Amino acid sequence: MEKIVTRHFGQENSHHIINYLKDDGYKAARKALTQMTPAGVIDEVKKSNLRGLGGAGFPTGTKWSFIPQANPKPKYLVINGDEGEPGTFKDKYIFEQDPHALLEGIIITCFAIGSHKAYIYIRGEYIKSMETVQGAVDEAYRAGFLGKGIFGTGYDVDVVVHPGAGAYICGEETALLESLEGKKGFPRLKPPFPAVVGLFGCPTVINNVETISCVPPIISKGAEWYAKLGCEKNGGNRLFCVSGHVAKPGVYELPNGTTLREIIYDHAGGIPNGRKLKAVIPGGISAPILTPDQIDVKMDFDSLKSIGSMAGSGGIIVMDDTTDMVWAAMVAARFFAHESCGQCSPCREGSGWVYRNVKRIYHGHARPHDLNNLPGIVNNIGGNTICAFGDAVSMSIGSYVSKFRNEFEAKIKDRVCQI
Amino acid sequence: MPNLTIDGKQIEVPAGTTIIQAADKLGITIPRYCYHPALPVSGNCRICMVEVEKQPKMQIACYTPVTDGMVVKTNSPKVLEVRKTVLEFLLVNHPVDCPVCDQAGECKLQDYYMEHGQYDSRLGDVKVKKEKKAFSIGPTVMLDQERCILCTRCVRFADNITKTSEFGVFSRGDHSQLDVYPGKQLDNNYSGNVVDICPVGALTDKDFRFKCRVWYLSQTKSVCPGCSMGCNITVEWDKMRPHQLKKARVMRLKPRHNPEVNDYWICDKGRYNYHFIDENRIQHPQLNNDLISWDQAADTIVTVLKQLRNSNRTNRIGVLASAQLTNEDLFVIRKFFKEDLKGAQVDFRTPEKPGDSDDFLMKADKNPNTAGALNILQPDVDAAQIVQKARNGEIDLLYVFGHDLVTLFGKEALYQMSKNVKLFVFQGSNVNETCRYAHLNLPSSVYAEKEGTFTNCQQKVQRIWPAFLPMAEAKGDWEILSLLSEKLGTKLPYQHSNEIFKDIAATIPAFSEMTYEKISDKGMILKA
Amino acid sequence: MPVLHCVQEKEGLITPEAEGNIAEYLGVPVVHIHEVVSFYHLFSQKKKGKCHFSVCQTTACALKGAEEVIEHIQERLKLKPGETTPDGKFSLSVVECLGACELAPMMQCNKEYKGFLNKKKIDEIIDNI
Repeated sequence: MEKIVTRHFGQENSHHIINYLKDDGYKAARKALTQMTPAGVIDEVKKSNLRGLGGAGFPTGTKWSFIPQANPKPKYLVINGDEGEPGTFKDKYIFEQDPHALLEGIIITCFAIGSHKAYIYIRGEYIKSMETVQGAVDEAYRAGFLGKGIFGTGYDVDVVVHPGAGAYICGEETALLESLEGKKGFPRLKPPFPAVVGLFGCPTVINNVETISCVPPIISKGAEWYAKLGCEKNGGNRLFCVSGHVAKPGVYELPNGTTLREIIYDHAGGIPNGRKLKAVIPGGISAPILTPDQIDVKMDFDSLKSIGSMAGSGGIIVMDDTTDMVWAAMVAARFFAHESCGQCSPCREGSGWVYRNVKRIYHGHARPHDLNNLPGIVNNIGGNTICAFGDAVSMSIGSYVSKFRNEFEAKIKDRVCQI
Repeated sequence: MPNLTIDGKQIEVPAGTTIIQAADKLGITIPRYCYHPALPVSGNCRICMVEVEKQPKMQIACYTPVTDGMVVKTNSPKVLEVRKTVLEFLLVNHPVDCPVCDQAGECKLQDYYMEHGQYDSRLGDVKVKKEKKAFSIGPTVMLDQERCILCTRCVRFADNITKTSEFGVFSRGDHSQLDVYPGKQLDNNYSGNVVDICPVGALTDKDFRFKCRVWYLSQTKSVCPGCSMGCNITVEWDKMRPHQLKKARVMRLKPRHNPEVNDYWICDKGRYNYHFIDENRIQHPQLNNDLISWDQAADTIVTVLKQLRNSNRTNRIGVLASAQLTNEDLFVIRKFFKEDLKGAQVDFRTPEKPGDSDDFLMKADKNPNTAGALNILQPDVDAAQIVQKARNGEIDLLYVFGHDLVTLFGKEALYQMSKNVKLFVFQGSNVNETCRYAHLNLPSSVYAEKEGTFTNCQQKVQRIWPAFLPMAEAKGDWEILSLLSEKLGTKLPYQHSNEIFKDIAATIPAFSEMTYEKISDKGMILKA
Repeated sequence: MPVLHCVQEKEGLITPEAEGNIAEYLGVPVVHIHEVVSFYHLFSQKKKGKCHFSVCQTTACALKGAEEVIEHIQERLKLKPGETTPDGKFSLSVVECLGACELAPMMQCNKEYKGFLNKKKIDEIIDNI
């Protein structure tokens, strides 16, 4: 399998521009700016079937085409490097080991959407990432790949690195814009969507780190090549993050459409200590949990959606049969309760309520009707909120209850821990 | 202009109107917490969600603009269910303090629960405790963080209306707390308004705290007499249980919506200046130190008037009218003194220092009816001149309407006037130092006991209605002059303020063609 | 936010005085600066220890024993989450996913990520500060 995003990982000093240039670095950007038109670039990305790798899986080329070119306001590109989805850690590797791939992708994307300024929002805890990326940006400026009139074309591209400050909700695109503007990370009411009214009220494209890092190879090797690598409607490879009860946790670049079974057993070394698989989260904590009979699913956006889950951020968390599922639900509920921004009432009150409810069930303090109420409460949050955080609480906690209901019932009946 | 249907009713509205605004126009009230017509939209409470045909998800009515042909349902089973859901979430951590909460009876949580909730609680959990309960955040407002539903109306009010930015929501999730900046106070001139806009009992008025349950209050429309802005108000009073409240009738004032005058707001000075309605009133006619009857009081005055009239010395009558009086009062003063007692010197422009003003609602002129007084009295003498003449002994009958002359002219002047004026009459609602120097004190009504009109600084004539009868033996200002006129033999033909206004409209060109019906409760501007 | 990060790093905390100065500098009402400081985890109004441990407790780390890590640190340093040792050397907070699940169970010590924690490793880290 051809490595795309991870092609420089593991090489010494892969983050320095000298080494990036040795491997045809910045040639794709030069090609785009000197030989192609912005519309041509968007078209190419559309044909490649590249889809957003931050979690939503929205077709990238289509997203770019929403920018109204006639609008006289400046256009912005924002790179979402908040990487807060539990189970996900791939963007950290791109930041630390191949930042120039990201920068080259930024140049091409800016050209395609008519933007002259890009912000890279990196979560505040990624200190090393921020230092590495800023270093790469400085190198790129010195080499003339960023700044005024790059590649002799007269096109300006400026890049600013901006730190987050410890709020998962800032991974939501409009919350991220609010954070960039110096405010609390409160997601905005939509419509209008960022493509029309985004950063500072201007048309904005927000894309994940990995998504943009895939753009240079698409431009140099062509959309058709990229589309073929993955599966139908979901081109290319993606970085799967495997963690939890596996022998070899880490980042694995594999084609979209690889089965979950293959990823867990063939690549991540399977489950250690002779234990069996009990459950697996396929795409970050917001994704509905899967049971062992479901792991032959192909890991692409459409296949996972069809079985009631989601490909999400590619964060795969494996749980073996020592795991108490009520406890796992409690940990997930606790995460959501801590990270709710508190703007709208269903999520603010609901996420705390769900956590306290599951906690009581886990500690054996619950009454029988608590379990009957839980699905209803959880369903009431989703669909009634300003952003998808509410839907995430709904879907993920709902899946624990529906798929492992017997464990919840046992807790209430026996008032003891299942394991 | 887009044409849409809400609950089967059609309406055409300007482009950009939101569903909730269109519904309000149709008289369909969609429940709302965070939405307020005078504040920017926030969309965080989620209770205004409605069903829009062809949209898969429900939309919030406060933010969704109407489109041509849109079909909206505000009372379908889905919508009613979502309202229950949102109410349930809001009540998860709400302390349900109703028995001790001032908001009870006008609380939107209570109201919407009774209309749309009525579910059995399935909570059974400990509620999130917050830091500040019953905490003073300024001279006028108390904060209870646990009752707060974080609708952020107060934050948007402080940011956009007063532009003083006192409020913020700190922390996140269900530990979010509404507060003022630590160490700072809510101390601007419009602080009381946040209590009006708070839909629950999180922000409550210190002045009204624990005073009276709102279901005992009657409401009467009126206009604030505090300055020439003439903010529209509602006088809220309790006649049922005065014995519990030291015989006070008025419990509080609330601003009344008038988009052309004060919108939804009132300044704190106007809001809290109602105690004079019940306190420190002149209650009985008094001649020097003796209480007398109205008959006796009237006789005393009329005797002097007759003397002066018969000896052609009406120019020795000095009248200090007031821009605190209604148009009707002033017209009767004009008729009684200027016309029937030709030669009497009448003015209202006492040399008051201008008060505080700002670029919002507070005006420097602290009288509610200066424009009316100018148009109706058309004075040709100066109040200060009248006072000087009174001091010099050139006035035999000095008739003062409510002014605090001691503050304006000093004790020495009052002493001279008391000595040198034959009959010094003070007609006013509240006791002030002047009363000690006046020979005859007459109790008159306050604005809340009158029917009439004021003319504000925008030249707008606005009606006031009486909430209750005058206290003790007080009478309306023009009614007292009517009594005098009867005894004098020039009987004024008025039984009702309505009749006076008809005459004003017929006599004064600026008021021509005005009637009480036309003015209604929104006001009418004078003709140029 | 970059301004707040600067102050946080230099001073170790953001005082009300600093908030006031920042508000003036940026032309923003001070209450909204305080809102931002209270919203984000990485901004603090209290000084942390010289070595601040942020231990992850979310799913992947929890599966690999985050609870024991937290307990062990609490025992060794006699600290509860949110507290600082009296000598100001250590402080502890329990946080959500730090994006290092492949190193589970892990924590962040000041700027560095330390993973594959067990009692021995934790003791080593503490003893070597």
